[in-house]
Order: sequence, then structure tokens, then C-alpha cells
Amino acid sequence: MISKTLMAASTRPIILAILSKGEDYGYSIIQKVKEISGGQLEWTDGMLYPVLQRMEMDGLIKSQWKLSEGSRPRRYYTISEKGCEELSAELRSWQSVWQALTRLTEPIPAQD
Amino acid sequence: MFDLEIEIKKWKKSLYKHEVFEDGLIADLVLHLREAYEDQKLSGLDDETAFIKAQNQVGKAENLAAEYGKNQLAALNRRFPFRPGRFMPALIFNQIKTALRSIRCQKGYSLINIAGLAIGLTVCMLIVLWVVDEWSFDRFNVHAGQIYRIYRDESATQMNSTSALTPPPMAAALKKDFPEIVKSTRFGYWQRHLISYKDKNFNETRHMHVDPDFFDMFSFPLIKGDPETVFSDPYSVVLTEKTAAKYFGEEDPIGRTLTVNNSFDVLVTGIISNESLNSSLDFDLLSPFEILLKESIGEDNADNWGFNSFSTYVLLGQSARAESLNQKLKSYLKKYDEEDLDQLVLQPLTDIHLRSNLEHDLSSRGDIKYVWIFCALAVFVLLIACVNFMNLSTARSATRAREVGLRKVVGANRHQLIRQFFGESILMALIALVIALFLVELLLPMFNSLSGKELNSAWRSNFSLLLVFISLSLITGILSGIYPAVLLSSFQPVKILNGIMRSSGANPFFRKSLVIFQFSLSVFLIIGMFIISSQLNYMRDIDLGFDRDHIIHVSMHGELHDKYEAIRERFLQNPNVLHVTASMALPTNIQSTPGTPMWEGRPEDAVMEIKTDFIDYDYIETFKIPLVEGRSFSREFSTDLETSFIVNEEAVRRMNLKKPVVGKKFGFWGIDGQIIGVMKDGHFQSLHHKIEPLVFKMFPAWLRRFYVKIRSDNMAATLRDLEKTWEEMNLGYPFEYRFLDEDFNNLYRSEARLGNIFEVFAALAVFIACLGLFGLASFTAQQRTKEIGIRKVLGSPTSRIVALLNQEFLKWIALANLIAWPTAYFIMRIWIQRYAYRADIELWMFFLSAAIALAVALITVSFQTLRAARANPVKSLKHE
Repeated sequence: MISKTLMAASTRPIILAILSKGEDYGYSIIQKVKEISGGQLEWTDGMLYPVLQRMEMDGLIKSQWKLSEGSRPRRYYTISEKGCEELSAELRSWQSVWQALTRLTEPIPAQD
Repeated sequence: MFDLEIEIKKWKKSLYKHEVFEDGLIADLVLHLREAYEDQKLSGLDDETAFIKAQNQVGKAENLAAEYGKNQLAALNRRFPFRPGRFMPALIFNQIKTALRSIRCQKGYSLINIAGLAIGLTVCMLIVLWVVDEWSFDRFNVHAGQIYRIYRDESATQMNSTSALTPPPMAAALKKDFPEIVKSTRFGYWQRHLISYKDKNFNETRHMHVDPDFFDMFSFPLIKGDPETVFSDPYSVVLTEKTAAKYFGEEDPIGRTLTVNNSFDVLVTGIISNESLNSSLDFDLLSPFEILLKESIGEDNADNWGFNSFSTYVLLGQSARAESLNQKLKSYLKKYDEEDLDQLVLQPLTDIHLRSNLEHDLSSRGDIKYVWIFCALAVFVLLIACVNFMNLSTARSATRAREVGLRKVVGANRHQLIRQFFGESILMALIALVIALFLVELLLPMFNSLSGKELNSAWRSNFSLLLVFISLSLITGILSGIYPAVLLSSFQPVKILNGIMRSSGANPFFRKSLVIFQFSLSVFLIIGMFIISSQLNYMRDIDLGFDRDHIIHVSMHGELHDKYEAIRERFLQNPNVLHVTASMALPTNIQSTPGTPMWEGRPEDAVMEIKTDFIDYDYIETFKIPLVEGRSFSREFSTDLETSFIVNEEAVRRMNLKKPVVGKKFGFWGIDGQIIGVMKDGHFQSLHHKIEPLVFKMFPAWLRRFYVKIRSDNMAATLRDLEKTWEEMNLGYPFEYRFLDEDFNNLYRSEARLGNIFEVFAALAVFIACLGLFGLASFTAQQRTKEIGIRKVLGSPTSRIVALLNQEFLKWIALANLIAWPTAYFIMRIWIQRYAYRADIELWMFFLSAAIALAVALITVSFQTLRAARANPVKSLKHE
């Protein structure tokens, strides 16, 4: 299981990453997270919405209610330009964290 | 049976308990719940279990609410689309409409409010104009900040003595000795001149003499002539526009000549326009200083460092510092005169009008103290007007409570309401501003005659002045709006709309204190008024120690001086002329001379400042100066002309001479003589000064004016006779005389003027306060209509009802007096201490002020209460 703090830290980049693939709505975002992580990332579904609201306030994403035939009206979210920048920045930070971790845990080469 | 819709409704309700959830958010969550439920069902669960699982998946309402709450907190710090904007232009129109409607609905109150504010603003604006005028003196000069006048600090030899007069060689010497001084000029006058052009003759008292640097230093605009060359010929003159018009009318003055004292000619080389300039340097004609040396005081005096009779002005370079130069000037005089211990000091040009208090200074100066007093007065008057506004609006608050309640119910928050009420008070103040501007325009001529100034409505062309006025009115609006705005906006809508709120509105204690504050100020101003006018009367009526009634004086300049004896004899032939005598200085303003006299038994190091005047025979008799010892100058004693002195009692005291004083040795100006008489102490200077030692000596060559004492009956005819005699003598000078008592009154003219202004404004302040009281009384009466009705029905007579209603107000006024009395006493005592001789501050002034305040308040209040008490009780009670 992933710790709560790590979950909290990763929520926004994950949402941004999902939305960078195209517009999406709340329930579907949750499903994608579960699917991709193979159940490793367990979110309380409802918690997604305050995060989305906050991200919208910060201007990272935009939302719009849409009516589509044969289904319910849904609020669709799209990533904004600022969101794209934020995503690449997040990716860089995560990569550097990852690099640091892997270097530290590499087996120490034997001395000749 | 499980019903999905009912369960969802229940779930929604649990969400609604939390304020943070708005409809949009709940829709999001419900949608999510439905999809989760459907997915659970697909996995084969029954309805109820699927719903519970889906519900758990979405999460607990409290946790979600907490998360949303965080977002809201963040939104508080910035604008979030769900919150109404701080500034909603659509509401402005509505608010102006409401404000105008509320002004229109309450015509009486609005009238009182606006009238009070308008009068207050008018008084303020007039005072601002006056203060700006006083302040602007000499500031039109481009180099005003670098121009200094040199004065002498004589405290080394005499107590606290300063003199604005300096010797002729100083200006040039300073410029030569100090590189910091770039330009310098003398400015002075020796005696009045008879100036003639064709058949026009005028005695000019303001024919000043300056150096060529003058036009480089000061910025008097020459409308004709070239500043570089106007004085290239020493016998030239520059006239002010007004003077030029006096002599030449429509003709072009340039190149024409004027004759001075029938003895020499000067060429007009320039015209100055100084009509609208406030300058401490007063002149009608300007000529090079060289003429003065050649024609009046003698060229040998050009290097006379002891000839202290003129002003010296210097212009410092951009980088020069006055402080360091002042240090160097301290011992400067020693360089040219080893015995001269006086120090020279630089006085900024811009200080001369308001902050200078030197001996021998230019006439008609202002006083910074009066500037402050008037500023305070302006603030007082405006405060009183503001208090009116506060009182009336809070008193009426009940009538507007419903509006406040309704606005709050439909979503207005407190800030918006505060803004609305501020808007209203500012609107009122702006309306008052427009009225006040009209009033200022209307009253300016009256104010000018009161203040002796020539103020014009400069605000129309002066943008910054207009800005001052507008901000004055905005400040008034804000100041008077603060309390009503805060109070009205604090009402709780539930209470108002339930009718729980009592209609008394504001905190009555606060309102009472405001009225008390207002009346304290008013009583203070009335007391001030009494004390100022009693001091002015005191000065007018005080026994000066010499007679000044029915005496005219005539200046003897030019050839008149030589013809004095002849004039005297001819005038004395007139049976209505009692005495003719002459002196150097006016007896209303005898100045001191540097140096200490010699007397019998004088200690080596004794220092005594002494006022001196040169007089003619009959002086003591003309002015009826009582002698306590000895005699006055007499033709019977040939030594009187040379070696006799008459001193006053104060001088005897200071010299510590024992009786008999007559016959004691006394010397001054290198003349050794003796005292022949001792006169009683008299006020030969303005009453600002204490009586100082004084000595009279005969010196015919220095007599500057003669006096004619006329029989009191039929003065006009006598004066006509004298004028005829004058013309018969064919003296070539016009017969120009002044009355001595007028001159005496002129000493206190500025005080008298300021006293008058103060009286008028104080009366207006009281009027504004009464206006407020009137409104408040009518409000109280209106509020107690039913009570009055019931009292009447039960048999109370009108008089008792009036007494009942008045009682409260009278208590306030009485309290206001208690506050005002000590304040007025202490502050006015400080003012009156400026005078060496002063009227007493008497108890009746306080009682009378209290009585006036009470009477005025009583009349104001009774007008309303009487109406209320007389009203038919049937009318006031029937609609219950």
C-alpha cells in the first residue's frame, strides 16, 4: 500500500497526466487511476472533487458541463496550458526523486 | 423495499447539512454515486449492498466538507467566481437613487444637514483662502528659498533686542567677502518725497531705494523696461502700474520725468506689475540707492557702518548653506567696526511675513499664531457641522432600519452597507460643496472688507486649490458618515424585521456626548469672542499717559523741514489752534537707539536699552504728558537746545537715581548734559511691549513731522482754515495730515480685524450647532408624540410638557459649559499673555457665554417642543 502522504503528493500530477491525454469526467478519472495502478492507488472517490475544484481555482484545469446522448449530463475537465507546464515540472521533480532513490539503493560496486 | 431515489435524497440531505456544499458540487457527487452504484450492481451485488458500497466509495460527508472548506479558505484570499464582486457598478445607480430618495423624503433633516455642512464648508474655505494668502507671501519669487534678509541680533549689548536695520555699506561688503552670497541689495527709504508731474503732486511714502541686483534676486515682473538697464542711470525710477496710472493716466510713462521734492528729476525707466503679488517688500516707486546717498543722507554715509537705517537682502548660491554662513556672520561686524558687538543673522525671506518679530521691521506683517488660530477655528466649525450630520442620521436610524434589514436579507454584507451609507454622506457633502462654492463667491467681498485683504475666487483658476476644497468636502463626508455607517450597518435583520428593535435607534449616550461636544466648542468660541473683544476695547480705551485726541500730524520732508518755523507761527495765529510742536518719531511708536547712556553714578558695566525721540518745544504740553518732577523744554533756557534731557520714571528706576533727579548728570550720543524733568510713564509703543526707559532731547535738525492740537469744537472748519493758510504760504507741497488717534488705532488694526473675523465665524459656529439642536429637538418631540398626547389627555398643561422636553437639552448645555469654561480659561489666558498690558479675564464673560448658549438653545428647542406640546392629542393618539 502507498502511504497517505505520498498519495496526497501524487494526486495532482496523476490527475494532470490523465487529463493530458484528453478531457475526462470525475468517475472515469477514478476508474483510470485504479486500472493503471492495478489497485495500488486506493482513493476515496469523493476526495477527488475537492481536489478538482482546487485545481480549477489554481487555473490548472477547466471544467464544463456536457450533455451527451444516451448518458447523464457530466462535468468534463480539460487541462489548461498552465496545467501542462505544471505537469512537466512535476514530472521532472518525480524523476529526480526517483533517480536519487535508485542511485542510493544500487549495489555498491566491488573495489578492485 | 429499497428505493434508490429515496436513498439518494437522504444522502443528499446529509450533504446539505454542511454549508460548503453548493448545488454544483452536490450534483458532481450524486452523479459519481450513481455510477459507482451501477458498477457495484454489475459485479452482482444486491441493490442495498451495492448502494452502501458505493456510498463508502464516495466517502464520508464530514471528510469531504473539510476538504471543500480548505478550498473556500483559499478562495477568501482571492476572488472566486462564486462570490459577489466587491465593486458592483450596477448597484451604484441604485445607491445614488436611494440616497437621493432619502434626501428627498426627509426634506427638513436634509436641509438642516446640507445647510450646516455648506456653512461649515464656506467658513472653512474662506479661512483656507485667507491662510493660503498669508502663506503665499514672498513665495512668488523664483529664488524665494535662497533669499535672506540680514538682521542684527543686539542681545550682546541689549536685552533680547533685534533690529532689521543695517548700514549702507553692508550689502556690497557681504557680497565681496563671502563667495556664498551671489547677489545682494539694500532696500530702504529715508523720508517721504513730494513727487510731481506737471500739475500733479503727491506725497509718496513708499519710494524705495534698491541696488541693481534687486531685479535679479526678486521676481517682480517688469511689464515695461529691461531689468538689466532700468537702473543704468542713477536718476531713474521704476513705477508700479497703479502709481504710473496716478501720474500719467493713459500716457506712456517710459522716458518721462518726475520731479522729486522740487529739487531733482528722475527718469521713468520701467513699470512693474505687482498688484496681485503678495510681497513683504512694499513699494510704489523704486529708484537706485545712489540717489538716496546723493540727495538725502550724503555720500559720505555710503561707508558709514554705524548708519543702521536700511534693510539688506542677499541671495545665496545653490550650494550655500544658511547655517554655516550664519556661523561666519556672528563676528562679521567686528571686521569693520571693532566696537560693534552685534551679530548678524540670516532670516529666510519666506519667514518675514509670518514669523518675524524684529524691531524696526516693515509694517503690516502677519502672524503665524493667527494662522494657527484660524486653522483651528476652521476645524472646529467643520467638526460642529459633522456632528450635526452624525446626530441627525443616527437619530433617524430607526426609519431606515427596515431598509437595512431588507438589504441584508437579500444578501448585502456589512461592507456593502457601510459603503452605501458613506456614499450618502459624501453625496450630501458634495451637494454642500457646490452650495458653499456659491456662498464663498457671494461672501468674498464682505470677507475682504472684514479682513482687509483682496482675496479673489482663485479656486476657479487654481486647480490645486479646488482640489483642496473637494478633498475638504470628501473628508467632511467621510467624517460625518463614519458613525451612522457603522451603526446602521450593524443592525441585525432578524431583530429589525421582527419589530424587536426599539425605534430610539442609536446609542443615546453617544448622541448626547456629541451635542455636549458641539456646545462645548460653541461656548468656548463665545468666551473667546468676549475675551478678544474686551482686550481690544482695553487697548482702545487705556490711558496711554499722553493725550492723542484732536491732534493732527503732518510730515515734514524736503523743503518743508526748513519752513517748519514759519508754518508754526502762521498756524498758531489761528485761534482754534492750541499748540504746534514737532518730533522725529510718532508718539505711538518710539523706538530704541543702540547704546547705553551715561548717568551720574553709573556702574562701569551697566547696560540699559532706552527709547529715544527728538522733540521740539511745547511737545510735553501738546500731548499733556504729566511731569512728576522738573519742567519741560523751554525757550527761556538757552541750554535746553543743547544739553537738556527729559526722562521717564522707568528710566529713573533703572538708573537707580535718587530724588531730586532734576539736575543729575546725564549723557547720550556724546552729549553731556543734565536731566531737567521726569515725566510719568506712558505707553509710547504698542501695548504688546512693556514700558521701557525713555528719553526726550531737543534736536531741530532731526524733526520729521509736526503736530497741531486743535480745539475740539468745529474741527472741520479749523482744518479748512489751516488748509487755506497752507495754500497761502505757497509751500509747493500738498497739505496732507493724519489724525493721531487713527494712527493709534492702526496699531491694533490687524488685531481688530482678526477679532472681527473671529466673532463672525464663532457666531456661525454657534448657528450651525443650533441648527443641529433644532433638528434633534424636532426628532425627540416627534418620537414622544404619543407620550405628549397621553400627558395632555391626562391634563398636563402645555407649559409643563414644554418644560419636560426642554429639560433634557438644558442639562446637556449645562454640562457643555462645565467642559468649556476651564478649557477656554486656559487657552485664552495663553493668548492674552502676548500682551504686556491686558484686560482681566472676568467671570461675567463665562456666565454671559453660558447664558447666551442656554438662551439660544432654549429658543431653538422650544420652537419645536412648543409645537409638539400644542398639537391636538386626538390627532397624535388616534391611529393607535
